[in-house]
Amino acid sequence: MGERLKGKVAVVTGAGRGIGRGIALLLAQEGAAVVVNDLGGAIDGSGSSSGPAQEVVTEIKAKGGRAIANADSVADFGAAENIIKSAVKEFGRLDILINVAGILRDRMIFNLSEEDWDAVVKVHLKGTFNCVRHASVQMREQKGGRIINFSSTSGLYGNSGQANYGAAKDGIAGLTRVVSRDLGKYGITVNAIAPVAATRMTATVSDQARETRAKRGITAGAPAIQMRMEPEDVAPMVVYLTTDNAKNINGQTFLIRGSVISLLNYPAPARTITKIGRWKPEEIAAIFPSTFGMDLVNPAPRQD
Amino acid sequence: MPAMLDGKVAVVTGAGRGIGRGISIALAAAGAKVVVNDYGVDIHGNVPTDAPANEVVGEIKKAGGQAISNGDSVAEWDAAERIIQTAVKEFGRIDILVTCAGILRDRMIFNMSEDDFDSVLAVHLKGTFNCIRHACVLMRQQKYGRIITFTSGSGLFGNPGQANYGSAKAGISGLTKVAARDLGKYGVTVNSIAPVAATRMTLTDEFLKAREIRKQQGIIREERALAQLEDLKPEDVAPVVVYLASDYAANVNGQFFLCAGGSVSLLSQPRAVKTIFKDEGAWTLDELDEIVPLTLAEGLVNPAPPRE
Repeated sequence: MGERLKGKVAVVTGAGRGIGRGIALLLAQEGAAVVVNDLGGAIDGSGSSSGPAQEVVTEIKAKGGRAIANADSVADFGAAENIIKSAVKEFGRLDILINVAGILRDRMIFNLSEEDWDAVVKVHLKGTFNCVRHASVQMREQKGGRIINFSSTSGLYGNSGQANYGAAKDGIAGLTRVVSRDLGKYGITVNAIAPVAATRMTATVSDQARETRAKRGITAGAPAIQMRMEPEDVAPMVVYLTTDNAKNINGQTFLIRGSVISLLNYPAPARTITKIGRWKPEEIAAIFPSTFGMDLVNPAPRQD
Repeated sequence: MPAMLDGKVAVVTGAGRGIGRGISIALAAAGAKVVVNDYGVDIHGNVPTDAPANEVVGEIKKAGGQAISNGDSVAEWDAAERIIQTAVKEFGRIDILVTCAGILRDRMIFNMSEDDFDSVLAVHLKGTFNCIRHACVLMRQQKYGRIITFTSGSGLFGNPGQANYGSAKAGISGLTKVAARDLGKYGVTVNSIAPVAATRMTLTDEFLKAREIRKQQGIIREERALAQLEDLKPEDVAPVVVYLASDYAANVNGQFFLCAGGSVSLLSQPRAVKTIFKDEGAWTLDELDEIVPLTLAEGLVNPAPPRE
């Protein structure tokens, strides 16, 4: 057992399986008391079961760690408050919040139903807001805290067929950037992870879809060479961000695939054209090809 | 010489005032027939009225253009469908969709109510999705379309007090990137604008008060930048939108433009700026303790350092 997080209390949502499970186990191994939250539903958000969260708790306790299970849904404002309160009630405080809970319902945008949009945005974006909102009150009173949200390459780069998921995950990136500025002065840091890992969520992408993407040269997120990308590989950097050593890392996004960890840039002007006064559309049309247009790539060119 | 958008049909949401109004007028001036949509509410999303949309239609017609007003709310799935159908019913098709409609309810995260979060998300993010979803079915069938969404520096760079707005606007950026990939092959482009302009959404009492405080505290750099806001007119955003809506921009897809007065910037896409890796096995915490400060975290600036 490590000592880095001795006396700290953590909440991990979506901790019953995959990436969340790996994080909960490592937090406990470093001495944190952990609320293992998982609704225990299917990938598409249907059903629920306290089984997965309970199994992780049992695993933590077997190794001498401290943990309790919680099966509330992050998507509900009141239920999310219960998750945060269960940490305070059981362990007396809250130092760390890790928002992993999520579901998937992939469809091309022209076939995406209102319900598929709402369900995915509700769990990911609203769910992350709900937990951050309730935790931020507690952490602000304590004058310290660590929040780590989960964004995705789907939102950052754009994955075909994931308008709902991509919007929710980029929304979480925006939430992270704003909240890091709202809370930084109280000694709280808020960062985001964009993970690439083999879990039951990525397993839902069909082999056929992978082949089609590869054929079209759409390789965003697909490894060029076989690399390790176990869900447990995401945990070390996440746990590092919760430690005192990371107290000044705030408002950042890290991309993690296996043992490859990258710091991502903030968007910034890549090229700028300036005119005193207002442009005419014709002037922009004339200047565009030799300025902005020079190295633009259409990610999905017209197919005739 | 034919105008850039002769024969095209456009829908502009949030077109009654500010940036959306400027875009509607510019699209019409370039030859497009325009559905001027505005729910006509105050900046917090309350008290709907038809007046602003009707005024813009009057202005377009007076200048010899074609336009019709619509007062449906983008935030509602069926109402958004009616907005798109208005274009089809009145003008026979829809070529261009510009989604400007939005509201503001600023609060620090620890004071933000569920309703403040939901309302802002419903108008900006769900509203943008609703309109795109209904328009893209038609654009895919006709193998042609131009969608221009509105994101914001608040979501891209992070503005304090705007967890709702920043989430919604960054969500629109993710939606834009995915929709660009879903629709590009059908001849439909999807791009996004992050505007900076003096409108009733930005020149708020809170903003002016905060600027005064910054001025008194002697935060010169910021004060300088902000002092120019009044000079950045909402109409300045329109020319880029007209360009993106034209045939000239057929191959511009999935891109983000920051528009502030006469200054237009193409924004960088996300990329790794620093990377660490090891050949075998997962990182240990001991290793990260040692290597992260020298690599990934080296030179990072905390945007809001702790105040003791």
